Amino acid sequence: MILLLALAVPAVTGSALILAGRDSSASSEDKANLVSLVASIATAALVVATVITRPVVNQAWLPTLGVRWQFAVDGISAPLLLLTAALGIAVVVHARSHPPHGGSSTTFYGCLLLVEFGALATFLSRDAVVFFLAFEVVLIPMWVLISRFGDSHDLAARSDASGRFVLYTVLGSTLMLVGILTLVQAAGTANLDELAQAHGAGLTRPTQVIIAALLLVGLGIKIPLFPLHTWLPPAHTIAPTAGSVLLAAVLLKMGTYGVVRLVIAPLPIGFGALAPAFGALGVVGILWGGLACLVENDLKRLIAYSSVAHMGFVVLGLSSGTTVGLQAALFANVAHGVVSALLFFLVGGLKERWGSADLATARAALREVSPRLGLALVVGFAASLGLPGLVGFWGEFLAMYSAWSPAPDRPQGLMRVLAVVAVTGTAMAAGYSLRVLRLIWSGDRVSPAHEDAHGGEWSVLAVLVAAVLVLGVAPGLLLNTTIKDVTAITTEVSR
Amino acid sequence: MSQAVVSVNAGVLLPVLAPAIGAAVVLIADIVAQRLRRTHYVVALASLVVGAVATFAGLGMVGGDVRQTLCLSGSGQCMYAADGVTSALQLAALLAAGVTLLLSWPDDKKQSTGGTAVIVSLVLAATAGATAVAGARDVGSWLVALELATLPTVALVALRGARSALSGAVALLTTALVSFGLLALAAALWFTATASGFLTPAAALTVIDDPTRRPILVLAVALVVAGIGFKLSLVPFHAWTPEAYDGAPLPIAAFLAGVSKVAALAALLVVIRAIAPLGAPVLTSMAIVSAASMTLGNIMALRQNGVVRLLAWSTVAQAGWVVLPLATVSSAAVYASGAYLLAYIVATLLAFAVVAALVQTRGAARARDLSAYKGLVHDHPVLSAALGLALLSLAGLPPGVLGLVAKVVALRPVVASELWLLAVIAAVNSVLGVAVYLRWLRAVMATPDASPDAGGPDGAVPVPAQSLRAHPATLVAVGFAAVALVLTSVNPQLLLGLLGS
Repeated sequence: MILLLALAVPAVTGSALILAGRDSSASSEDKANLVSLVASIATAALVVATVITRPVVNQAWLPTLGVRWQFAVDGISAPLLLLTAALGIAVVVHARSHPPHGGSSTTFYGCLLLVEFGALATFLSRDAVVFFLAFEVVLIPMWVLISRFGDSHDLAARSDASGRFVLYTVLGSTLMLVGILTLVQAAGTANLDELAQAHGAGLTRPTQVIIAALLLVGLGIKIPLFPLHTWLPPAHTIAPTAGSVLLAAVLLKMGTYGVVRLVIAPLPIGFGALAPAFGALGVVGILWGGLACLVENDLKRLIAYSSVAHMGFVVLGLSSGTTVGLQAALFANVAHGVVSALLFFLVGGLKERWGSADLATARAALREVSPRLGLALVVGFAASLGLPGLVGFWGEFLAMYSAWSPAPDRPQGLMRVLAVVAVTGTAMAAGYSLRVLRLIWSGDRVSPAHEDAHGGEWSVLAVLVAAVLVLGVAPGLLLNTTIKDVTAITTEVSR
Repeated sequence: MSQAVVSVNAGVLLPVLAPAIGAAVVLIADIVAQRLRRTHYVVALASLVVGAVATFAGLGMVGGDVRQTLCLSGSGQCMYAADGVTSALQLAALLAAGVTLLLSWPDDKKQSTGGTAVIVSLVLAATAGATAVAGARDVGSWLVALELATLPTVALVALRGARSALSGAVALLTTALVSFGLLALAAALWFTATASGFLTPAAALTVIDDPTRRPILVLAVALVVAGIGFKLSLVPFHAWTPEAYDGAPLPIAAFLAGVSKVAALAALLVVIRAIAPLGAPVLTSMAIVSAASMTLGNIMALRQNGVVRLLAWSTVAQAGWVVLPLATVSSAAVYASGAYLLAYIVATLLAFAVVAALVQTRGAARARDLSAYKGLVHDHPVLSAALGLALLSLAGLPPGVLGLVAKVVALRPVVASELWLLAVIAAVNSVLGVAVYLRWLRAVMATPDASPDAGGPDGAVPVPAQSLRAHPATLVAVGFAAVALVLTSVNPQLLLGLLGS
């Protein structure tokens, strides 16, 4: 019941907001913000209750197709659920001080809540077909956020970015659907837990490889995996701050989460066959993203490319096939969620203050004119380059470690090469992070001055900075949550 | 043999009889009282409702349950049989005809051309043909019913009298004749191969061990696919579609997209079900036709600037999806194909109803052209929401969950038969489809231009927005289709359950 309420609250409130009004006066904007704030806080409370009590829902929905409403929580989905719920509040609080431009605020907040609903449903779903449906729910609201509320400097670029986002992800999810249907057909069940427990029993190697390939390509578009990542930078550059945050911190996670649930657990042999290629593409993504970041002059685009690099580490961890690797991937997943949310909130705010996100323009040094923004930026980029003691370190360090000592059925030589190449990726991360800090944080220019963060913006940034520090100092909080369910997957795999 | 009909169960036949009787009543009433106009519509709607209610008994029947009638005393074979899929298709045809009638409801101010009684009775006759062909189980009534469903539409398109209508009608008539020729030949070949006038598995099974008769049956099925391909707008038999849709009055275009498609698919399913036990695992020709229809339909739809032509090409693409499951011959495929068609009909009728409402409020120039939809959401938020839901359902994206579930249903048999290439083509086409419908939706959601009265494309006199009110009957049609789409999107089982299992 709590679980269904956690889904119903954002879904109903979001739809109601969209259908309710088109009045864009200031008072209705406040009202819409208040409604969505209450809704997102209520959702978060319900999600926390769900994570603690771990209820299970299992109801018939489409009996003719054998599709059931099956929802549950386990250690793998719990951190992502909490992250989604927390960011659901954060985007609304942030929008309080940075109201949306380009359309009615009710539509804006409604879309935010619907994206949150889709993400929560994806992470909660235990039925493969429902997982796919939930996966699709986020598309249209996010498309609206980008195409209506995105950067309106260049309308052609905006419609190109939003269209590209939808078309790429629809291609990915339809391929995923073909994979899911094949898997369900071959395994005889759509229940993700049963699929995971079976560990591919009864499926021949060629079948597993075909299904895994379909699913990895489909989910790879969402992650995004090199060379399927080209939709991400424009989408991030154009999207409004709240859209960028949800896109990076929540939507990309749905891809890697799907890989764990739909590929690694139910298709160990198929994934084992494709894992080296999957890991290699992840590492190419690390390099590609790093190189792009070294020369990119648009700050939002730079962070988008750094997302490609960070998700490359997640992919590397997944491909190693060990408990450590999977733990690393799930940790890096959440870490990237926190760090990218922090950076996109920051950069969105800076872009609003500066009027553009161009790094080549000389600006006042953040250290001098806005110490709060400066502090958050330093923490964010320090975490991004993987400084020990911050959240970014553990996931990437463990991912490289796991690639160095992969599961016995993985080609050890290749995986070690990948680990070494990934290390150069971290060096590049240090390079571009320091480059950005040098360009906009250090120095002694004080003009043109701009406001420092305060109110809603500052509280959101402060909470995220705190999360970066806490999870960096005490990674066990997260690793202990996931370990039980991760071991359940990997012990069977390595047998 | 023809005199041996022993059982006539009027209750079972009512979905066919009701619209047929309605057509007769309308024509008689027109002779008696020539000034009647709205009464015809009321009578017609009543007969459609009676027919629709009569299908309820057959909806959702599971297993091999059928309601039969017109059975021969000797062999016990029946010329009419309705199971869950049949009844659901009949219901769809009757309700779609009802929506068509609502859209063409006579306006007090305008003098209608062509005579109300004629239009109404033609619609009812074609609908009776559609429901009859769904239940037909013998070659004769199958062929006659299918033509009864087709020929009135030619007249309906032509009655508008405009030049574009005539060219559309000619395209439709030519197509109908060619298609009839192919189907008549197919019927003859079927009879030659099976020595039976019945389109039943039992008849088809007589061929299974005979290597000389089997090719004849295969040829018959191929001709059926071609003949029905015309009616279902499948590539390469699709060329008439944009002409006829664009030339026809809007309600008639909706009829072509709704009732006519039900009739065509129902006719196809009769044959597919008959040959299912032959164990032909894959109908390669159907796979090719399906892939070509989807691809060409979507690509052409992407290039259209008139919304009716866009919907016409979208019909071609969706027809490809409808027959996609039939690339594998099985009862699951028949079910999937029927389910996809129903989902398509609900969404496309809603789109047509919204366009019709906009034609009435904004004038044809500002409702038939895609560029005129820019900023629609600001002028007509409710109609825009309905249109958006319809387009997203056609695209197969939430909140149009019905369309998405339909795609899942349609892909299942393909995947189960491991037709990977076809599945991947379908996946790519779902992307193209999204591009088609989002192009329209983007215009609807865009910020309107600074000068809202940009007028027609050729600089026609600007039409002020909201100058007129839509006809209440049109709004009823919009509301009916919208409620149906919302309910079936919230709970797709409402629609899937109609077909049985």
